Amino acid sequence: MSRMTIPIGPQHPALKEPVAFLLTVEGERIVESALRIGYVHRGIERIFQRRTYVQSVHLAERVCGICSHVHSTAYCQGVEALLGLEVPPRGLYVRTLLCELERVHSHLLWLGVLASNLGFETIFMYTWRDREIVLDIMEELSGGRVAHAVNVIGGVRVDVAPDQVRSILAQLDELGRQVEAFVGVIEHERTFQARTRGVGYLSADEIRRYCVVGPVARASGVDVDLRRDAPYAVYDRLDFRVVVAHEGDVWARTMVRILETVESLSLCRQLLVGLPDGPLVSRAPRRVPSGEVVSRCEAPRGELLYYVRSDGSDRPARVKVRTPTLTTLITLPKQLQDVNTADAFTVLSGVDLCIACADR
Amino acid sequence: MGNIIHRIVRWARRRSPWVLHFNSGGCNGCDIEIVDLLTPRYDVERVGILKEASPRHADILLCTGPVTRQTRDRLRRIYEQMPAPKWVVAVGTCSCSGGIFRDGYNVLGGIDQVLPVDMYVPGCPCRPEAVIEGLVQLLEQVE
Amino acid sequence: MKLDALLEALQEAFPFKELNPRPVPVGETFITLPPDCLHRAVGLLVERFDLRHLSAITGEDVGDEIVLLYHFWDNQGLTLRTALRRAEARIATVTDLIPGAALYEREVSEMLGVTFEGHPGPQVLLLPDDWDDEPPSYPLRQRQEEDS
Repeated sequence: MSRMTIPIGPQHPALKEPVAFLLTVEGERIVESALRIGYVHRGIERIFQRRTYVQSVHLAERVCGICSHVHSTAYCQGVEALLGLEVPPRGLYVRTLLCELERVHSHLLWLGVLASNLGFETIFMYTWRDREIVLDIMEELSGGRVAHAVNVIGGVRVDVAPDQVRSILAQLDELGRQVEAFVGVIEHERTFQARTRGVGYLSADEIRRYCVVGPVARASGVDVDLRRDAPYAVYDRLDFRVVVAHEGDVWARTMVRILETVESLSLCRQLLVGLPDGPLVSRAPRRVPSGEVVSRCEAPRGELLYYVRSDGSDRPARVKVRTPTLTTLITLPKQLQDVNTADAFTVLSGVDLCIACADR
Repeated sequence: MGNIIHRIVRWARRRSPWVLHFNSGGCNGCDIEIVDLLTPRYDVERVGILKEASPRHADILLCTGPVTRQTRDRLRRIYEQMPAPKWVVAVGTCSCSGGIFRDGYNVLGGIDQVLPVDMYVPGCPCRPEAVIEGLVQLLEQVE
Repeated sequence: MKLDALLEALQEAFPFKELNPRPVPVGETFITLPPDCLHRAVGLLVERFDLRHLSAITGEDVGDEIVLLYHFWDNQGLTLRTALRRAEARIATVTDLIPGAALYEREVSEMLGVTFEGHPGPQVLLLPDDWDDEPPSYPLRQRQEEDS
């Protein structure tokens, strides 16, 4: 059978971001694949060197629109460590609350996109409708649906009033009921299972060899989660379980993410109920003493690393950002091997690509 | 007879614009707000706005993100493939002017560096309500 | 991670090198090595201590040298720091030991002009197709060389 190369992207209805795939197929089977990223490369690491530390918070938030808060968290944590600055507990609680709300919004967004790519429009509409609850909460707290500008160096700039706590808890309860329904769909809906089971398999060994992180790693049985292994913010004071599956396919990744969403809702409740009194921010000087720091956070897609080096001025000398999507990109040619063309988008959606994160 | 057909076509074009969404280098914030337009809260399909898959089916190009060197030629090609009459809406501060990434070595600036823009909708990210308002104002001008 | 045993093993393997292990926030340890020892050090981490998770490779142009940081993770962070002379920015690839390093090396290569000898597919990762200035320019270098 002769081979044919099918180019996908950078403009494609199933892709929300520009990325190009070259699939070489023999009949219906993909025999080879190549990937071209860099369409969204804005040269952010270079731009960081021209901004002050304060301006860089705004920039870090815009590396990616979906996980913007965790980027600014990783950056601010790093700079706070360089300054030897301790964030007051209430500030840390609010910061963590936004991290977990963002995890919920990101996972629901992803589930909708996966469902849409499978042709399951109903779940796409339901998840994105219910995701509006989270966006409303984030807007109520910070003024922004997608970019929240909550983090500042030294803490946070928004507070949670007691009546807001009550209303948010009620909204989270409503969302919790919807999420339970989604868990049911993923666990029992046979068409969904037929499309996602056994597709895009990665073994635990491959995960380790390619240094894959996040839900993709946990879905193949690799038990890593920075919130538990190296707690930052207030994760050491919270009670949650790390969700691990062993099937290693797209279905397992879906299960891991939806159960993580359930855990995140529980974390949000714990944070709201346990919010301590006190200030929200510690005053930070403009100049940062010389030094370097490696700051890691568990973003919705996995381990996010920020390396910051300061030279004593008010601008960072070097900011290096390593996003979790880079670790899953490298596994795509292996995952697409011998897959039917019809399943190509199931595989591509299963890893939750965030090209803006990967390209920076 | 030709005049009546012409008026019907113009009416349909105004009442049901089909949009193509393309991200030319943005952070994704504006993109998820555009996809939000299709979802139950905003549901623009009930007012006739349909998201299309191919440039050949689209009337309006909803563009987000600053133009990077890699997307410049692709953006132009997509615009050229759209049949006339066509309009371009720059959604978000980055596509209006390059935004926060303006001085990036790989960034050329806003969409208007490459294409003629008919409507600028600023915001970082742009709210879905603002995108709808931008589309409504554009369509009123089209008359 | 058994950090003490690891440091001991590294000092044993490189007896005449000043490793200078020092703590770096947040909870990291940095170790300095010359470039020609790096591949062997990574081999030791992988084969003897099963330390395979390479989080990132940071590259920085600090003027007279190009510094490479290999950030490892196993319940705590360990970074191997090495410095390359500008005129001779080459180092052995670690993709034979850690396949996951492939994209990180490609990025450092195009941003700073470092050659990773033995890399299986050193194509451009992020830079556009038409980034073929003559002489080549590297975005994260502080100043461009005329004779790279």
